[in-house]
Amino acid sequence: MIVAEEITRVYRMGKVEVRALRGVSFTIADGEFVGITGASGSGKSTLLHILGLLDRPTSGRVLIDDRDVQRLSDRQQTLFRLKRLGYVFQDYALIPELTAIENVIITSLARGVSEKEYLGRGAEVLREVGLGGRTNHRQSELSGGEQQRVAIARAIVNKPSILLADEPCANLDSETSKSILDLFKQLNEDLHQTIVMVSHEKWHERYFCRIIDLKDGRINSMRECNVNR
Amino acid sequence: MLENLKVASFLAFKQIQRGSKGTLILTLMIIALVFVNLVFLPSIISGVVETFNSQSINFNYGNLVIEPREGEQYISDVDTLQKKVERIPGIAGTSPRISTGVTYFYKGHDARSTLYGINPQDERSVTKIHENMIRGEFLSAGDTDTIIMGAILAGTEGEEGGGLPTLQGVQVGDSVEVAFPNGERRTFQVKGIYETQSIGVDTSAFTTTDPVAQVLGLEDQASEILVKTAVDGQEEMYRTRLFSYGIQQQVFTFQQKAAGFVDQAIQSFEIINAISTLVSLIIAVVVIFIVIFINTVNKRRQIGILKAIGIDKQIIINSYVLQVLFIATLGALVGIVLTAGVIYYLTVNPLVFPGGPVFPVVEPATVLRSIASLFVVSVIAGYIPAWKTAREEILDAIQR
Repeated sequence: MIVAEEITRVYRMGKVEVRALRGVSFTIADGEFVGITGASGSGKSTLLHILGLLDRPTSGRVLIDDRDVQRLSDRQQTLFRLKRLGYVFQDYALIPELTAIENVIITSLARGVSEKEYLGRGAEVLREVGLGGRTNHRQSELSGGEQQRVAIARAIVNKPSILLADEPCANLDSETSKSILDLFKQLNEDLHQTIVMVSHEKWHERYFCRIIDLKDGRINSMRECNVNR
Repeated sequence: MLENLKVASFLAFKQIQRGSKGTLILTLMIIALVFVNLVFLPSIISGVVETFNSQSINFNYGNLVIEPREGEQYISDVDTLQKKVERIPGIAGTSPRISTGVTYFYKGHDARSTLYGINPQDERSVTKIHENMIRGEFLSAGDTDTIIMGAILAGTEGEEGGGLPTLQGVQVGDSVEVAFPNGERRTFQVKGIYETQSIGVDTSAFTTTDPVAQVLGLEDQASEILVKTAVDGQEEMYRTRLFSYGIQQQVFTFQQKAAGFVDQAIQSFEIINAISTLVSLIIAVVVIFIVIFINTVNKRRQIGILKAIGIDKQIIINSYVLQVLFIATLGALVGIVLTAGVIYYLTVNPLVFPGGPVFPVVEPATVLRSIASLFVVSVIAGYIPAWKTAREEILDAIQR
């Protein structure tokens, strides 16, 4: 479970103060597929960065499974990301020198998983995302949709308790986007995977259990929308 | 810890395997050439020292030199002393010498230098002058009025010595007049000419003991006794042994006799070597630093991604350090091969120094020191840029 309490985030850009988040509070239960929506500059990505421990709030706190994650040291946060979180970036964020399977297994390797296990699991996850035949291809040999699938496979390979996705379909055509969202839906329904996804596409909303809509750094609305799922 | 090393090795291996081959080869070659530079000059210095040592032992001093007690001009009772020294274990030969400054006269030319009176048989047991005759023959036991002369002193017709004593063209069979310090003059027939490449020896001449002793009025006396030991390099031990066997004269090692000259030459070489080593290492540091810096700056985003997905900062730094260690190892290996080539070439075609041909001598300590210093500078030069980039905030790195 994720609990966000009065999160604010203030940036300084030269002499200008930018208030990206102005006190955001919510709770996300285990197994929910939550969409964070809002206009550009509403604070969606900032919020996801804070939930993903890639950034620290100026004030407020985030509890993940009752643990105040902002109190963790940098090193502890790195370990937390490794063991508990999966993160899918808008632009895939793959390591170009590594093949698809190497990109996927790198976090398993860091977790100390045995070679046999991580190779087996890596291949299995790539099959699950539909890339069974592309395991030894490098980033430059994969299409945008395939790269995003590799990024998703990397994020879920260790079965994280929370999967965070920052506009994962932003660079994809609608057909590929649909296949990615179907994959998320499948993960959420079959594996009860908690997913928090940032999106600004109206048609994505039918995949979410709940939508947290942001406006100017505040929660504009919070609504259930699983009727369409 | 082991997992971290495995991940760091994995990342390092993949980056080397799939990174730019051109950059890798260029860096390797620079490291290899730095290694050659680190080893080459010390090997030449060692070669000079070794050449000088062997020249000193073979032609100038033997291993040890027994000289008269302080305040005395000659060693007395030489025959008994010689036998006593030769009975000491580890002594391979002794050669008493009477030395005197003389003036040589030949066809209108004159030259001031040293004349040694020796027992040819004894001299053969200590020095190798007899093996370096370029014309004529070495002295024999029965010779009385014959002389052998160094190639510089004998000289070449029409060529002046450029500050060195030379008679400009003495040939085997010629007669040379010698004026002794007491004014007596004697004529010697030149029996042979030698060339040792040691200037002090090649500007001198040798005759048998009797004529010199007669002129100087000496009997069973010598200016010095050269001592050859069974093994080189343990002169100090043999010197102590001579004293322990009751030798009361002064005993010097060849190093002590030659100290001033060698020390000065070596000191100058060491300064050049220190500067050269420092410059080489600075080049290595700068090159590796630039290569890793450019590498990490170009991969700043990747480093941010790796941190974002939970790869520890230290693993990322270690992966760059491992890359550097790999490059340094391979560079040192290539450097060893290149050095071996240079050393082989200079062994076949030695450098010619005033003291004789210099063969490079590669000492294991120099190689190990060079490898160690290369590794130390490589690790430092690799660690700093990797550390600087890896400590950047994740979002700053990713969003750049």
